[in-house]
Amino acid sequence: MPSQVQTQGLVSRRLYRVVRGTVVVVLTGILIAGLLGKIPQLDILEQSARNLYFHVPMWFALMAATIVSAYHSAQHLRHGDRIRDLRAREAARLGLIFGGLGIVTGMVWARFTWYEGTGVWWNFDPKQSMAAVLLLIYGGYFVLRDAIDAPRTRGRIAAVYNLFAVVTMPFLLYILPRQMPSLHPGGEGSPAFSQTDLAPAMRWVFYPSVLAFLGLCWLLYTQRVRLAWLREVLRQKALGNAHGDGDAAH
Amino acid sequence: MREHGRVPLLASILLMNWLTGAWAVFRKDLRVELRSQYAANTLLLFALAALFLVAFAVGPQPLSARVRAALLWIVLLFAASIGLGRSFVAEYEGGTALLLRLHTRASMVFAGKLLFNFGLVVLLTLVATSVFLLLLGVSVGTPGLFAGTLALGALGLTSATTLLSALVARASRGGPLLPVLLLPVLVPVLVSGVGATRKALLGQGWGAAQDELLTLVGFAGATLSAAVVLFDYVWVD
Repeated sequence: MPSQVQTQGLVSRRLYRVVRGTVVVVLTGILIAGLLGKIPQLDILEQSARNLYFHVPMWFALMAATIVSAYHSAQHLRHGDRIRDLRAREAARLGLIFGGLGIVTGMVWARFTWYEGTGVWWNFDPKQSMAAVLLLIYGGYFVLRDAIDAPRTRGRIAAVYNLFAVVTMPFLLYILPRQMPSLHPGGEGSPAFSQTDLAPAMRWVFYPSVLAFLGLCWLLYTQRVRLAWLREVLRQKALGNAHGDGDAAH
Repeated sequence: MREHGRVPLLASILLMNWLTGAWAVFRKDLRVELRSQYAANTLLLFALAALFLVAFAVGPQPLSARVRAALLWIVLLFAASIGLGRSFVAEYEGGTALLLRLHTRASMVFAGKLLFNFGLVVLLTLVATSVFLLLLGVSVGTPGLFAGTLALGALGLTSATTLLSALVARASRGGPLLPVLLLPVLVPVLVSGVGATRKALLGQGWGAAQDELLTLVGFAGATLSAAVVLFDYVWVD
């Protein structure tokens, strides 16, 4: 009898459907409103200000993924559950994806604002460089995982590296960029999204966009976790059959 | 009344035990190292080879203070990331990890290895820096700031390297993994170290390099405390 593998406990189906519907509707709206809606006409920025709707929410998603990954790594160290390790891994993978997208959108934006007329794509602005280093750290996380064969050891060692890297991230993201001159919005003398910097019309697109991207990140995360869990259970079953004992999927 | 007298006594006995254990691990590593001098020789030869390559590559013309500081730190970081990985790997390869685990607590092992690695890094920094100053004919404007920066940098470098080399020692495919994991994590040390070293070479005072020095102190403190907490999970099965 082919037995059903249950992933009911990992995510509430109803919540998943509600979020999926909302994200589909809201993100479609944001694509339309973000690309066609009215924005204030400013020198240098001009149409590139629309990048705010996509670039900034991607970084919010990265931050959320980083925090979730670190949380599950800590829980994995504390209790040793396999599912925590899978959750930490999938959250880190999504951090890598959203961080990569954030870097690309930021790079294209900088090309046409900071470096307009120079043909430069990348000039080692501190915030850009530190974001790239952050992605290198997560790249290292996956290389480390691949270097270890035993699943239990792999989970624990990867969790330790994840938490250790998280400790050094504030230096990369907050301390160092503030000590160096940077063109990035949010720095000294450079507007970002405080009370006066963002036009009211843009708020109506920007805030839903942040929520929609966080929702999208969550959807991908739960799906990937369920997939990873199924793979894990099937692998355990195959191992159990090969060894001829029945207590495989514990 | 008697209980009150006993608690500090017990605590001091435990502390003495801990210090003795950590010191024993350090002495063991030192003795193994003195027998072959493998780690120290690799580290120093790598640093010297890299320095000579740098000297040949840049040629005889004078360099700006920033480039000089950057070259020194790059050589230090790469040498440390390649040369410091041995001590944990050797425990697993030699099959002594289990014995060590039975006889000592994880924190003692970590403290002993940390001390040993710090000794290696200090040796590396001393040799590489003096050769660097000699070869490139660099004069240091503020020697105190220069030494202070290198010392703080060495501390952060050692704590990050010790924990990560313990991680890599558990990997079945170790190889060149340590530099890949270590270098992105050490970016704050590199950036602040280069900044403060440049100011020291230019002869600026301690006050000018305040931001960089505070970052180095913060990094060393953060990595050291994180490493102390996390090492238990790496060492104990």
